[in-house]
Amino acid sequence: MVSVSTLAAITIDGLAFGASLALLGVGITLVYGLGEVLNLAIGAFAVIAAIAASLLVSDGVALPVAAAAGLGLVGVFGLVIDRTLLSLVYRSDGEERILLGIFTTLGLAVMIEGVLVNFVSSRYSLPLGVSPIDVGTTVVTGTSVVTIVVAAVVLLVLFAFLNRTFLGKATRTIFQDERGAQLVGIDPRKIRTLVFVLSALVAGLAGLLIAARSNIGVGNAFEFTTFALIVSIVGGVRSLVGAVVAGVLLGLVNTLAGFFIGSYVATIILFGAAIVFLLVRPEVMSS
Amino acid sequence: MNTETLPGTRKLALVAAVFVIAPIPVAGSGYYIGVLSRILLFALFALALNIVFGHNDQLFLFMGGLGGIGAYTTALVADTVGVTAWLALPVAALLCGVVALSVSWISARRRFTVILISILTLNLQLVLSEAFVGARDLTGGSTGFPYELFSIEAVAEAVGVPTPVVLYYVILGFLMAAMVAYVWLINSKYGMAFEAIREDEAAAESIGIDVVRYKTIAGFVAGVIIGIAGTLLAREATYITPSIFSFVAVDVIALVVLIVGGIRRTYGPIVGAVVVEAIEATLSNYAANWRAAIFGALLILLFLYFRSGVIVRARDLLESRDVSFGGGGGGTSVETEADTD
Repeated sequence: MVSVSTLAAITIDGLAFGASLALLGVGITLVYGLGEVLNLAIGAFAVIAAIAASLLVSDGVALPVAAAAGLGLVGVFGLVIDRTLLSLVYRSDGEERILLGIFTTLGLAVMIEGVLVNFVSSRYSLPLGVSPIDVGTTVVTGTSVVTIVVAAVVLLVLFAFLNRTFLGKATRTIFQDERGAQLVGIDPRKIRTLVFVLSALVAGLAGLLIAARSNIGVGNAFEFTTFALIVSIVGGVRSLVGAVVAGVLLGLVNTLAGFFIGSYVATIILFGAAIVFLLVRPEVMSS
Repeated sequence: MNTETLPGTRKLALVAAVFVIAPIPVAGSGYYIGVLSRILLFALFALALNIVFGHNDQLFLFMGGLGGIGAYTTALVADTVGVTAWLALPVAALLCGVVALSVSWISARRRFTVILISILTLNLQLVLSEAFVGARDLTGGSTGFPYELFSIEAVAEAVGVPTPVVLYYVILGFLMAAMVAYVWLINSKYGMAFEAIREDEAAAESIGIDVVRYKTIAGFVAGVIIGIAGTLLAREATYITPSIFSFVAVDVIALVVLIVGGIRRTYGPIVGAVVVEAIEATLSNYAANWRAAIFGALLILLFLYFRSGVIVRARDLLESRDVSFGGGGGGTSVETEADTD
């Protein structure tokens, strides 16, 4: 039988994976809630940040600087995508915009992966160099604890931004009533740009945290996108809190199922959850 | 048959004739036969997508997974029951039809939007991809197994031509059968109902069209075609692995093919497949490493600027010079029989 300490260690790992999933889900939810663009390239954003940071570290750059540079790169990239590609998508609206958003970001994901494969084809990691932590009789992975703390802090800051600052309130106003927001003088397009860059940064951070715990490669991009998609579906694609809860829960279930039943069944559980939620609560995705 | 009153038949016969003679100049080259076969295969996938997405607004993004179900089922049934793959294929195709039918039925019953269907089926695609890798006992996992069914070698030996050539004609047979079925379907009462539903679902329902029934039928037909296409895709590769049926390998390509050829155009899938496979063949000769990148860019461009179909524009240009591509099956009644062997 599995000892309590092993179980605790796995739970911490599951929460850490869940924290990364929550960030990815929040990345999708922010953009979809605000502009009805389902960003299927979000996994590529995560991978770009992680690989850039990892390459810098192996060139001798200090880890915090490398991580910041990776995030900066993906932020700028997000800005460029928003000003070019998404500007074209936002010209249409309603169902057509959603469909167009799906296809252009899908094309973008395929393109980014296709370009990156030519330059960075091996697997990369971002070891934090944190030693395991003893909690009584239990030994938990230090990196997992750092992951959970970092994700929690970032999410708290994000929520504080959305709830406390004017810009954040303006953003939430558009979530609820785009026309009303326009009437009180908020420019939705500018807010959308801000939020898209924000989501790119959040996704980039998720990539960094995943790379801290395992090796990742360009081929993981689509996998991360699907994780993000599942989390946001299960969380109710417009609810940030829902995305966080769903991310943590799915990360936990996935890790535990992976340990007890096997990783292939665990992945099927993950996708199965999304399908069940779509069938039970289809209204989460409707415009 | 009086072809004068059946313009659709004559055009289809002409297209079939072109494809029948197409391998002759390149028969010696296994590479070009492969390219030609892939043209037919992706025309078949795009044709199914045209029925279910083009005519019925159900965006199936699990064509790869469905094709995989077809291919694995054909092999497993042939193997375990000990019959020829020719008997196993209808079983597999029927199974794919039923899977697709279920998805369509649930979606239609619950009034899913096209976006919801696309996300639902994308998730199904991912589950199936995982399942193909994970169910090692049945699928051989990611290493797969050789796929040389349908005793095509024997025929090839008897006739004295390379195996891929025989396979090409087998695929052509299926594509032409599917084309006949498509033309018949679209010009029948089903096609009219599809059109009415697509234009205004509520209005169609109010005049007594059973929306759920028609969408389910479209899903079934597409499922059967995709199941057959998937099986042939594995046979063409002569070796079956889950990667053949991935989202990027099947769904993305089929979608690009359909959009390039023009949605809801009778010959759209074929024209699109010729263009896309020509691009793909060129890329794999001169820019193999950039294939995915260029395809991604193509997808973006197509959806942003050419949603009505690249070919529609090219066709307008060519028609002004008296060259016709065919296409547009709307309105004309075609009395061909549905030949579904």
